[in-house]
Amino acid sequence: MLELLAQTALNATYAASYIALVAVGLVLIFGVMGVVNFAHGELYMLGAYAVVALYADAGFPFFLAAAVGLIFVGIVGIGMERTLFRPLRDNPLGGLVASIGFLLILQSLASVWFGVRMEHIPPSTQQILRFSDSVSLPVQRLYVIVGAVILLTALWLFLKRSRFGWALRASAQDPEAAALQGISINQTARIAMFIGAGLAGVAGALTAPLVRTFPYMGHSVIVTAFIVIIVGGVGSLEGAVLAAVIYAFVHTFVTTFFDGVIADIVGLSLMLLVLIVKPTGMFGTADRA
Amino acid sequence: MQPDPLSSESALLQIVGASVNYNKVSAVRNLNMKIPHGGIVTIIGANGAGKTTTLRAISGLSKLSGGEIRFDGGRIDNLNPEQVVARGIAHVPEGRRVFPDMTVEENLRTGAFLRRDQEAIESDLSAVFGRFPRLEERRSQLAKTMSGGEQQMLAIGRALMAKPRLLLLDEPSMGLAPVIVEEMGRIVVEISREGVPVVLVEQNAELALGLADYAYVLETGNLVLEGPAKELHENDHVRRAYLGL
Repeated sequence: MLELLAQTALNATYAASYIALVAVGLVLIFGVMGVVNFAHGELYMLGAYAVVALYADAGFPFFLAAAVGLIFVGIVGIGMERTLFRPLRDNPLGGLVASIGFLLILQSLASVWFGVRMEHIPPSTQQILRFSDSVSLPVQRLYVIVGAVILLTALWLFLKRSRFGWALRASAQDPEAAALQGISINQTARIAMFIGAGLAGVAGALTAPLVRTFPYMGHSVIVTAFIVIIVGGVGSLEGAVLAAVIYAFVHTFVTTFFDGVIADIVGLSLMLLVLIVKPTGMFGTADRA
Repeated sequence: MQPDPLSSESALLQIVGASVNYNKVSAVRNLNMKIPHGGIVTIIGANGAGKTTTLRAISGLSKLSGGEIRFDGGRIDNLNPEQVVARGIAHVPEGRRVFPDMTVEENLRTGAFLRRDQEAIESDLSAVFGRFPRLEERRSQLAKTMSGGEQQMLAIGRALMAKPRLLLLDEPSMGLAPVIVEEMGRIVVEISREGVPVVLVEQNAELALGLADYAYVLETGNLVLEGPAKELHENDHVRRAYLGL
């Protein structure tokens, strides 16, 4: 029993890692630009296809493909900022609708380029860390966990220590007051979109060998990410990470001991419970909600 | 564009025939103002008279629908706020608008966002802490946990960190206890004596006319009176409408 618990905890840690990457990006974009990016799941999908194309098809090293996934999807994010969200800056609902439109475009393009079949690509490593007879962690999953820890730590340091990190936080807290300090909202929006989209992309890239890649895979990911940011508190990066961990553990344990449908119900109930007890989420202030 | 030699010599900032509309509603009409290279100029008027709008137009937050604004000889009315800051105009907005989830020190350093002179930034930070010892005591505290007076000091300190050539203050006395208002007044005079010209927007006309050298009176978007602050303080209309005498 103890071993089953340990194994389930390892599985949950893996799930928490990629959910946190996706959710933190979503929160960052919302915080700085006030836009709910519905295309975020499709950015995750693009990252996965970057690995399918570069690693599985073209034979480049896995980590190179994942890095390209991060940068490529980050650049797509910059493009979205420039062409969709900037012209709709004072119109958050317009940004939301535009992101839904962009989601459909990305899904269609992926279907045209890659087809609608599910891609199951070979893992980049067959190694498995064995802790005991029934407790183990495939190294491919460890990559996701380590990647998430490194990237989220780097993001935290960037936001707390660097000049542009401060600018990003200032813009998120009060865009007009930030402009009065000489901080360009166009610049902070561009940085936020690059990081936010890039994190979704790298989450897709790192998990690509572990899941099935297909044009509509973003759907379940964004639903999970929305639950997580509502539980964590819209606008709080720390809240998003903590909520990702809580959600992943609850969901994984319920899936293991009951089944996946019940886990989804419990996950949604968790969100409703938080909304009833503390409508702003665990860490949220609801400033821009 | 023909530069006007007179304006650049006689005034640091000049507003010429400026109008601002919000959603087709006129907020300020045909405004003319000159801000000299030193001292305190105040803009007084009731709620909705266009005082805040005037400051927002100077710092680029609100666009003019007519007229122009010149700073140090060059037009600034077509610039966005971050470019106006770069020219040397710091704006302490109405309601202070400190960054709530950043510490006092982070707020202050954010004021120096455009500066690259690290050493001068450090010495200006100590100068701000010297002027506002409360801020130094609370340098690691989040701005949202501070009192209204402390937040106002923080907002002014943040503006000073930009090393401004002109300081715009929007209602620094708003919502503060009388003893803090008095202290705020002393600080504003001190800043202008140290060589930073100040534009002070106030509803508290008694306070503003006591501090300022020159005053403008706005009523429903129009400039109705101007003159040396001492003279306006004795003006019958000002006494009746703004000083309650």
